[in-house]
Amino acid sequence: MINQAILSMLWNGTLDTLRMVSIATFLATLAGLPVGVLLTTTAPGHILEQPFLHRVCGGIVNLGRSIPFIILMVAIIPFTRLIAGTSIGTTAAIVPLTVAATPFVARLVDGALREVDAGVIEAAESMGATPPQIIYKVMIPEALPGLVLAVTVTAVNLVGYSAMAGSIGGGGLGDLAIRYGYQRFRGDIMLMTVIILVLLVQGIQMLGDAVARKFYHRN
Amino acid sequence: MIEFKNVHKTFEGRASVHALRGVDLSIPSGEIFGIIGQSGAGKSTLVRCINMLERPDSGEVWVDGVLMNSLSPKELSKSRKRIGMVFQHFNLLNSRTVFQNIAFPLELARYPKKDIVERVTVLAELVGLTDKLQGYPGQLSGGQKQRVGIARALATQPRLLLCDEATSALDPDTTISVLRLLKDINERLKLTIIVITHEMQVIQEICDQVAVMENGTVQETGRVVDVFTRPRSRAARSMLQGFWDPKLPSALQSTGNTILRLTFANQKVHQPVIAQLVRTCGVDVNILYGRIDQLKTAPFGILLVELVGSNEQRSQSIAFLQENQVEVEVFNP
Repeated sequence: MINQAILSMLWNGTLDTLRMVSIATFLATLAGLPVGVLLTTTAPGHILEQPFLHRVCGGIVNLGRSIPFIILMVAIIPFTRLIAGTSIGTTAAIVPLTVAATPFVARLVDGALREVDAGVIEAAESMGATPPQIIYKVMIPEALPGLVLAVTVTAVNLVGYSAMAGSIGGGGLGDLAIRYGYQRFRGDIMLMTVIILVLLVQGIQMLGDAVARKFYHRN
Repeated sequence: MIEFKNVHKTFEGRASVHALRGVDLSIPSGEIFGIIGQSGAGKSTLVRCINMLERPDSGEVWVDGVLMNSLSPKELSKSRKRIGMVFQHFNLLNSRTVFQNIAFPLELARYPKKDIVERVTVLAELVGLTDKLQGYPGQLSGGQKQRVGIARALATQPRLLLCDEATSALDPDTTISVLRLLKDINERLKLTIIVITHEMQVIQEICDQVAVMENGTVQETGRVVDVFTRPRSRAARSMLQGFWDPKLPSALQSTGNTILRLTFANQKVHQPVIAQLVRTCGVDVNILYGRIDQLKTAPFGILLVELVGSNEQRSQSIAFLQENQVEVEVFNP
């Protein structure tokens, strides 16, 4: 039976999940955006062409993306302890979530920036724009709708990852689902957490779409 | 004044393209200079060598006494602010309003805000877009977008404007209006305009001088009237032929009579040369085709005529026409 205690547990779990996801999304964007910019601009034929750096950078990003999250989370426990002081709880979970999402963001940012019309970049060059000016005044503003959607996809992904983090003491809705829904056979609690997760993902996507639309001026 | 000295450029790739094969060309200040050629002739590469969007492999590019290949990135960035560029596909920033697009080069050059507002207002008036300043490029027609592109290119008061196929993506009416705008700008601001195009009409409407390119070399340069009336290179002749000459019905071509192609330039257009020809030489002249056009400001006419008469009368007629400074070419083989 769902009682007041369980409802408040679900409420706190939701808040924990939101906290993990939003902070990890923010930090991963902060770290992943420059890496994405580096990936795009050092590519052959681009404004800061550096084929070697481009390949090394791309390799590291791919490596980061190819490690399954559940393994990554366990593997970097010493690092997590170093940063967060503990490896258990929502604050600790933010560390592996950020580490996992950063290369993901970098790749998505790279994809969004590559969509910027080469002609527009050439036009800026013809006006004497420097590479930093091209990045800040042309590429990022022109790719903004795509960048917003990239962050949205990342946040949605992190909702999933955060539930996984819950399974090894990360807190949040995933933790509830494992401890009550799975270990204590409370199918009703399991169902509630799933419904909340679905609503969360829908909400994040709708918000992202709305913000992206605001920046979209192509027609 | 712009000078190319033996400029070469090859694009390496799976199949290397030798885009420029030793171009020598000088472009005087203050005029509208056209560069025409088929696609792949190297004209876009050539114009991109002026502001170093493409770096020549060898040779020199001089703009107003400055050797462009030798500039440091910083100097190049500065000198690019004195060279405006207009593109075929406009290349406007979709994330910025029309106002912000025109203001963009001023922002890059760190103009004070007040000056930017003033300058953009003047430019918007010049290109006739005062009422669209708060709109986005996505809401404009092609012609309006190109007007924004032109205003943007003029923002930092360049001495030189490069137009890379600026009207090729526009419909015929819009093309005319954009060309008029360029002509007007050239007259009012006294700046040099270099126009890259594959359309003879563009050269005809606005250019003072023209260079004809083929296979990465300049085949011919000269005043437009001269190149149009007396083309010396095969490339120029073939571009002109497609532009001027009608396809004569084959019945007309096989009458056995001589068909002449007469080209009139400048004052000759106003004189009744044909009537004088008939009276003087006693031949019958059958007019098959004719047109009069305007080359920027000079009138220019073409006639295809069939001469009916004896061989002697024919050669007399040709001599008479040449004496009267009409360009004569035997049209049928």
